[in-house]
Amino acid sequence: MSDLFDLPFEEERDEAEQSAVVSQQPDDGRRTTEPAVVKQQPDDSRPPTVRKIYSVTELTVRVRDLLEEQFFEIWVEGELSNCKVWNTGHLYFTLKDSSSQLRGFMFRSALRYLRFKPADGLRVIARGKLSVYEPKGEYQFVCEHLEPHGLGARQLAFDQLKKRLQQEGLFDAARKRPLPALPRKIGIVTSLDGAALRDIIKVLRRRYANAHLVISPARVQGEDAAPEIARSLRQIARVPGVDVVIVGRGGGSLEDLWAFNEESVARAIARVPVPVIAAVGHETDVTIADFVADVRAPTPSAAAELVVAAKMEFCERIDRLRDRLSAAAGGQLQRLSRRIHVAASRPAFGGFPTRLAMRGRQTAELSHGLARLMRAGIAARERRYQQLERQLTTFDPSRRLGGLRARLVGADGRLTVTARRRQDGARSQLQLVTGRLESLSPLAVLGRGYAVAWNDDKSRVLRDASAVAPGDTVIVTLASGELDCEVRSTSGSTQDTGRVPRK
Amino acid sequence: MPDTSIKDFEAAIAELESIVKKLEEGDLALEQSLELYERGVKLSRFCHSRLEEAERRIEVLNERGELKPAPASLGSDAPER
Repeated sequence: MSDLFDLPFEEERDEAEQSAVVSQQPDDGRRTTEPAVVKQQPDDSRPPTVRKIYSVTELTVRVRDLLEEQFFEIWVEGELSNCKVWNTGHLYFTLKDSSSQLRGFMFRSALRYLRFKPADGLRVIARGKLSVYEPKGEYQFVCEHLEPHGLGARQLAFDQLKKRLQQEGLFDAARKRPLPALPRKIGIVTSLDGAALRDIIKVLRRRYANAHLVISPARVQGEDAAPEIARSLRQIARVPGVDVVIVGRGGGSLEDLWAFNEESVARAIARVPVPVIAAVGHETDVTIADFVADVRAPTPSAAAELVVAAKMEFCERIDRLRDRLSAAAGGQLQRLSRRIHVAASRPAFGGFPTRLAMRGRQTAELSHGLARLMRAGIAARERRYQQLERQLTTFDPSRRLGGLRARLVGADGRLTVTARRRQDGARSQLQLVTGRLESLSPLAVLGRGYAVAWNDDKSRVLRDASAVAPGDTVIVTLASGELDCEVRSTSGSTQDTGRVPRK
Repeated sequence: MPDTSIKDFEAAIAELESIVKKLEEGDLALEQSLELYERGVKLSRFCHSRLEEAERRIEVLNERGELKPAPASLGSDAPER
């Protein structure tokens, strides 16, 4: 910095100027030594004839020429402050360090090429030249290029893009879509010969055998990577049936991954109409693409696993529903059986054997009907199931995925078993009901020592002694076996009208 | 076994869920519960058939946006044995 002041003032120097400079730069050690030199040439020793008097403009022009000549391509480091873009599009700023300031500006044409946006407080390295703004007699720095000091232009570009997209809402949680359970096609945007693609295919082959993949190739490294990735994303979004897209690449240096920090890629991801999984193979660095994507996977393999997991979750959901379906249907049948049971055991049935018998018949018919319906219903469903299962087994089994098939067959098996168990349950319920009905049957009282007397051809139960005459044959049913009896006499008939005429 | 009464698997699973719920709540006529059960089995079959439906395939988009089979090096037609 001190050189800058030395030059313009070296030729025209007097004590007043010199002390003014000194007072402006109290910290500059070199400056303080110079008045001593001046004192060796006191004013009065200088011949008045050699005194050259400049006009302000002349001097200023002279200074400007010297400055521009001496400082036409310099680098200077400092902190930006008072940054302001005027409506002309040029940027005005002050560069400063702990003790000095330098005014500067940058033309709009140069500003355009910056990857980041100059802002107050940024430490920068600036390239340019010195010049003088004549109307104000101020020297200034004409900046041609700026780069951030420390973090590097890329990091700064990253931070600024991230902030901008965030403000636009591209990272909002509300934008994130869930992965589809069963994507018809899985879109992949990556390099055709990269490890990422091989990894994804390996995982899907193992765990999602019938996956249909559509690859939209793109270079994922180098200058063209970003536009290619963006283009491939646009292309794959147009393929019918693509329900999810994985975009990514294997691990690499931050430099290698840079395309995934470009705005064009971020915007292309945001515009894909189906969920996007970003899989940029680097656990530690999060790229802009990761923020914009619906789901972030640490590696391409992990992205494929996410797709698989969504499918598995779906499988489990169906299985659970199916189990519940069987249980609920079985429960329904049981409830119905129980109602019959309750009806049959009402005390009303106790005292009226005839009605009981009648009800018993009804109940038995009902029970029978229910059992038949259940048997028919369940058997038909089992048959259909077995048929479907046969179809499934014969349908090109070599192309079927082992694990999933086993699950499916297992689930079918469980369903059948469950259905059968339910059927058995209902059946034993029915046996219970039937047993109870039998115990209440009029015939059951025979076991307690009662007997039933019939006429000789067992067409009628005898209730009145007058129904038979001495000599008639009467059949007596005991709990076990029958007696063939002859009537010797009758008595105690309630009927006075005598015998019922018999043939 | 295409069933036109089932729109897609999301709809299928939603219907299956409501059927299960209805059956679990109980108190349906026998015929009705058998009908529901049958419909439920059909729906779960449909969902499972969707799992199996897709065909393993790998395709690559070329620069004109056309789909071409992937090169054999990517294992497009070599299912794991």
